[in-house]
Amino acid sequence: MEGRCAVETWAEFGFSGTSCTPKVQLGFGTDVFICTGSDEVYVFSAKERKLTAVLQFPGPVSDLVESHDKQVLFAACMSGVYCVSSQFLLSRVQSSLADASSSPSELKISSEFLLVPEEGVLSLLLVGSVLLTLSQRDTSWILTLYNCPKQSASSSCESLTSFSLPLVSSVVQDDDEGKTGVRRRPVLICVCSGDATPLPSSSTSSSEVTLTDRHIRLEPVLFKLLFGVDAALAKSPVILCGLPDGCLCFLPVRLAGSRPRVLHNLEQPVVFVGASAVMKMGLGHAQCLVAVGELGRVVLIKTDKGGPEGGGNTAGFTERCVPGPVVCGCVDKNCLYYSTGSDLLRLDLSEGLFGQEGQERNEETSSKTDAARQSPTSLSVCRVVALAEPAHNPAGEVELLGLSVRGQIQRITLPLEKEDTGLSKMPSTQVGRSVRDLLSAIGDVCDRASMLKTGIKSKNQILKHLNQVLNISFLLVAGTNSEENLIRCHATTKWSRLLQKDSLNLTCVLDNSSPYVLEHGWTLSVTVFPLSYPPSAGGESPSTNFSFPFHSLPAGESLEVSLPLAAAGVASFPMTVSCSLIFSLSSLLGEEAANFKGLQCSCISLPLNTLTVDWLHALQVSSPIDAQKMATSQCNNTATDTIQTFLNSRRIKCSGRGEGGGENASKPKREQFSASVRVLSELVRDMLVVKSSDEDPQGPKLALQNVHVSLLEWLLSEGFGGVRTGHQGDKMSRSVIHARGPNGHTVKLTAKEVNVGEESVGKEESLTTVEVQVESSSIAAVCGLHHAMLRRVQTLLQRVPERAASTKSIRSLGLRRALQRAEHLLQQIQQIRVSGAFGVGASTGQMTRSLLAVYRELRENPLLII
Amino acid sequence: MCQYWWSFTLCTVVTFQFAFTFLFQQQERGAEAVSHNQNQTHQRWCLSEFHKLSRKIQGGIPPLVDHAQSELTVVYNTCLCSAALSQLSEAELLLSQATERVIQMTGDDPISSDPPAFWRTLLKSVGNTTFNSSVQHLLCLQWALWLAKCQLKTIQEFQDELFSLSETLSTELGDDKRSSERGKSSDIPLLVMDPRRLIELLQTCTFIAQGAERLSEGQSSEALSGLQKASSLPAPRMLLAYTHHLSGCCLASMSCPQMALQCYRKAVETDSRCVCALYQSLLIYRELGNTQAEIQALRLLHSSLLLPSATEPPLAGAALLSPSVLLCSQSLNRLLSVPSALSVLHSLAQKCVLYGRVSEGVEYYLDLLAALHSDDQHGVHEDPPLPRLPELYLEAGAALLTARRPADCMALCDEVVGTTLELLPEKLVLEEPEETSEIETGAVGAEGEDRMRMLLWTGAAYLLQGHCHTHLRDWKQAVTHYTRCINLLVKVHFKKKGDADMVGKQGTNLCILQRLKGLSLAGRGISFSQTDQLREALRDLHLSLQAAPDCVGAGLWCGEVLWRLGRRQEAAACWEKTWSFTAQSSVEGLRLYLQEPQTGPLLDSTELQHRIQELGPTLSA
Repeated sequence: MEGRCAVETWAEFGFSGTSCTPKVQLGFGTDVFICTGSDEVYVFSAKERKLTAVLQFPGPVSDLVESHDKQVLFAACMSGVYCVSSQFLLSRVQSSLADASSSPSELKISSEFLLVPEEGVLSLLLVGSVLLTLSQRDTSWILTLYNCPKQSASSSCESLTSFSLPLVSSVVQDDDEGKTGVRRRPVLICVCSGDATPLPSSSTSSSEVTLTDRHIRLEPVLFKLLFGVDAALAKSPVILCGLPDGCLCFLPVRLAGSRPRVLHNLEQPVVFVGASAVMKMGLGHAQCLVAVGELGRVVLIKTDKGGPEGGGNTAGFTERCVPGPVVCGCVDKNCLYYSTGSDLLRLDLSEGLFGQEGQERNEETSSKTDAARQSPTSLSVCRVVALAEPAHNPAGEVELLGLSVRGQIQRITLPLEKEDTGLSKMPSTQVGRSVRDLLSAIGDVCDRASMLKTGIKSKNQILKHLNQVLNISFLLVAGTNSEENLIRCHATTKWSRLLQKDSLNLTCVLDNSSPYVLEHGWTLSVTVFPLSYPPSAGGESPSTNFSFPFHSLPAGESLEVSLPLAAAGVASFPMTVSCSLIFSLSSLLGEEAANFKGLQCSCISLPLNTLTVDWLHALQVSSPIDAQKMATSQCNNTATDTIQTFLNSRRIKCSGRGEGGGENASKPKREQFSASVRVLSELVRDMLVVKSSDEDPQGPKLALQNVHVSLLEWLLSEGFGGVRTGHQGDKMSRSVIHARGPNGHTVKLTAKEVNVGEESVGKEESLTTVEVQVESSSIAAVCGLHHAMLRRVQTLLQRVPERAASTKSIRSLGLRRALQRAEHLLQQIQQIRVSGAFGVGASTGQMTRSLLAVYRELRENPLLII
Repeated sequence: MCQYWWSFTLCTVVTFQFAFTFLFQQQERGAEAVSHNQNQTHQRWCLSEFHKLSRKIQGGIPPLVDHAQSELTVVYNTCLCSAALSQLSEAELLLSQATERVIQMTGDDPISSDPPAFWRTLLKSVGNTTFNSSVQHLLCLQWALWLAKCQLKTIQEFQDELFSLSETLSTELGDDKRSSERGKSSDIPLLVMDPRRLIELLQTCTFIAQGAERLSEGQSSEALSGLQKASSLPAPRMLLAYTHHLSGCCLASMSCPQMALQCYRKAVETDSRCVCALYQSLLIYRELGNTQAEIQALRLLHSSLLLPSATEPPLAGAALLSPSVLLCSQSLNRLLSVPSALSVLHSLAQKCVLYGRVSEGVEYYLDLLAALHSDDQHGVHEDPPLPRLPELYLEAGAALLTARRPADCMALCDEVVGTTLELLPEKLVLEEPEETSEIETGAVGAEGEDRMRMLLWTGAAYLLQGHCHTHLRDWKQAVTHYTRCINLLVKVHFKKKGDADMVGKQGTNLCILQRLKGLSLAGRGISFSQTDQLREALRDLHLSLQAAPDCVGAGLWCGEVLWRLGRRQEAAACWEKTWSFTAQSSVEGLRLYLQEPQTGPLLDSTELQHRIQELGPTLSA
């Protein structure tokens, strides 16, 4: 034994020459009763660690027992059995405590507490409402049953029956008694069958039956084997009585016609009788009985499988001898603790019991350990004369309460023993049951484990998910400034015709080129709002929001969503498409999020890039044949959609009126507006080479041949601002393109090469430029397209590397002209404003007309872009 | 000087004694209200005080004639209290000490140790002294002690003197009374019990004890004459009832049952608590075969046993010495003994079921089981002992089945099976114990016996369950249960030792075993016949008839199955044989659950007769 016992002395009170074996009894909550065999019973409070009261009885006290509800204490005295209620004790103790005196209160127990006037009672036991007394008459033991009323503090008991057992004269006893004059207390315990219902008296109390060392639930089979079928059928508790003459007797209490019978004879005074679980099955009842004799004989009584004649179960009595003398003992789940007076020892019953079988089974492996186990281990605590039932403290150590020969109350804490006992054998009926129990227990544990595992797994998943989200967030936040974002959107516009109605669809593609996965919970939000909007919208930007929650977007993949941008003739261009990624926390937590009200709308919104869809994107380019048709009969569309034609013509008329002023309204041929952009052809060529070199190997040649055509092509097909037009398939290698704008008006885009130069300047000074002219009857279309073209050319300029100032003169020339024009226009505007301000002869119509003229002039003379 | 001191001491002693006697009598008067237990406590206390007093007197006062009367009165009181508390040896010791002192007072030589002779000389020597009456009182006590110790022979020898005591005492006490009337403060101490009352009690008890003794020795007529004498004496009701009861017993043993019944009736009329008379009359009815009267008597006995005062009669008013202390001879106790309420209830239930009052019997059985499970059963010794609890369960089950409550029956059987099943051996050797070897084998044999019984109980439980299923016409389940029973029974190997007629002995395990075999095989055969498995049915029924030839159901059904198989001649023979058996055999002694079930499918005997008659002509033809 490696560990040592911790002995803690709680209190000390001297006691000398006793007339009976001392006894320590736990009771009344944390109180401990100490009966030393003298007239006095000490009440020790384990909580306060002090002696709280001394009960002074009229004669030597031989035994103590408590009622099941721990309300009454019965004490066997020379002159009879006395009964003290805990309330009485408490009230007296408390009143004495109120005096603040530290000395314990002394209570004199007078004859008014006398319950049973039977003399010489040695031992007591309470079974339900029956009080048993055991006393010795000349040559016999008298076991008397008294009916003990519930509130028995005052009233006396009625004797029910009495049995006498012949005293087996024993030399040992006579000798000893002669020498020391100590009366041995017979051991009385109550045994119930494990399947019997608890005693009625204790079941009425709120708590479950407290199994003290004196009330044992025994395994049903062993119970039947030892005490008979009748006792089991009658569900009667059985009194087991270990007498100082060595007899182990039993008596079923509640069985008609039962008599005390001898179960076994130890041939030495019985010191202790108890029950032990031995097998660590949590079935709640003991598997074997243990009786210990004074000279060290230990008898284990248990069920033996397979009797001598191949017949079922039998009760097996296994005797062993340990070095005695045994002064007192107590039993634990599987250990017997006993004191020899000079040492406290522990005997492992489980190994001792199954030792023989164990050796037969696997002799070579286990015989060594068995041999080691079978001998009791010393706990090195001496002079213990009484032990209370063992308890387990929260740490799992066994705690014994002992009384030393000098009158010290000691708490003995035993070190933990390693659990390395092997498999024990069990009766087959038990095996089935216990296997079932074990399996269900395993099932429960498995369920719990898998539940916990899934919990952990989901939390891990959430954490991983959150990690991804954070990564993406950082990436996006960091990438807002830089143009090259790893996660970005680009889009494609496409006209589609559905139900005779043209509409422009935007296909938005989210590219995830980051190393992270966009997982469940992310939403792509696309907000579309026009850059400018008609005043009819009421000052507010008529923005439209589309959200596309998606499941997962792994790294390197892209998500394509389609959204209707505008129906024909409704929307106003250019439009801004701003994309953002939204992550909602609720999706992260799943169902748990439902518990948090606040979480449900908490989202992270991370802006992606912004796209612009302008007029050029929204153009519906007609094929050459269509264009021909359109040129001839612009308003005579196919017969099938006459209504559409009608509506269109109406619109055109109206808009024509608005644009052209009142006088143009009646004209079939409307006023054409135009605007143009001029770009240095060299510039275009360079740009296109740069561009096509990384796209199309054949492109450059073609582009070089007719620059104006390719410029037009570029304008229409270039994915400007991340947006492409959808009609890339058909080659538009034409210099004149007819198309329809989103508002339904036809537009004509013409590109040609023009030599720009001052007439006065020499030929070499002149520059080849490409002029793209926009013509349409709709001023909105012209403006929009012009704007769009200019924006593109701007980017083109950014892209092309800076040139030498070879064209400086041209540039200055252009600039001068432009300046002149601008000055002229400024004058005009000022005039209009002056006349408008004074309201001199000019109607508002006239003023708008003249403003329009200025505007047209601004448009018409393009700035040469070099 | 010394003399003065003595007299002073004695005076104080006597005054003390007065006080105690007074207290005692005070207590006695109020005794009715006080419980028996407290009364006894009080007696104990008085006794201990008396003891102290007498010790003081005998230790401190020399044996002088002057104080003899006071001293002897104290001794009388002490002894009487001791005797009342059954502390006979103590009383005896005190008495002998007192007589020794008397001898010292009179100054005679030590006299013979033979008790009658001793007392004769003692009485003679104190003949003229003042304390003559006190010595006579002591003789009364001696008489009481002899009686209590059942020394009837001594009493017999001394009977005349003892019986004449009453006359002498009554005259003397008359004088005493006069003197006590003269002055209350006179120093004649009081007695805790009037000696005349004591003598009356002793006389009656002596007659009763002697009567019982003679009856047990077979001298019925002599006993009867003594008891007749006793019945005319003044005595408490209880004792009078005893005399009538014992007379009845004498008459019964003289084979005059009707007169005995008269006496028993008189006894019950005198004291309704005399349940032993009820019990004896019940035995006579049983002997006479009057079942209905027996059942009536049993019912009466049971209800009177349940009365609270029935077993423990309260202490009769003034009588300190209860007759129960004086009447303790074994022969008398045997005659006065009554079985416990539970065994009465059991025989009542059994009789009711056996004699057609099934529903009543079932109720009694259920009462019995409830009583056995109640909390207030505390190992009261039963004489005769009740059957073992499983047997009671099985009997109750059989009764329930007879009352057509198969579900309840099955529940009870389940309980029995559940209790015993784990303990059953794999195989068992049954040896019918020979008379000589029984004692030697002792404990081992008892254990084997218990195992055998357990097996038989389980078998019987299965059998009853089979019957239940048969009753419910659930043939498949019935076959299952009968088979279980049979499988269990074949585990027993019978080792034949003695004669072959062991089987015939009723109540032996072998008999029960064979009976169970027969019944379970018959049950299974009948169940098979119901499901048209005729071959199996015939096999089982044949086996059943081998095991228990007197099984009526098996015989009849065997014939029926043979008939159905077309073996009509054999069938007819089988039926005839069975009917011949029915006339002979009786199954009285068997337990209820070993009786043939009344609930299964039945065959009408008259119909069978018809069939045989129809068969007749073809036979002759």
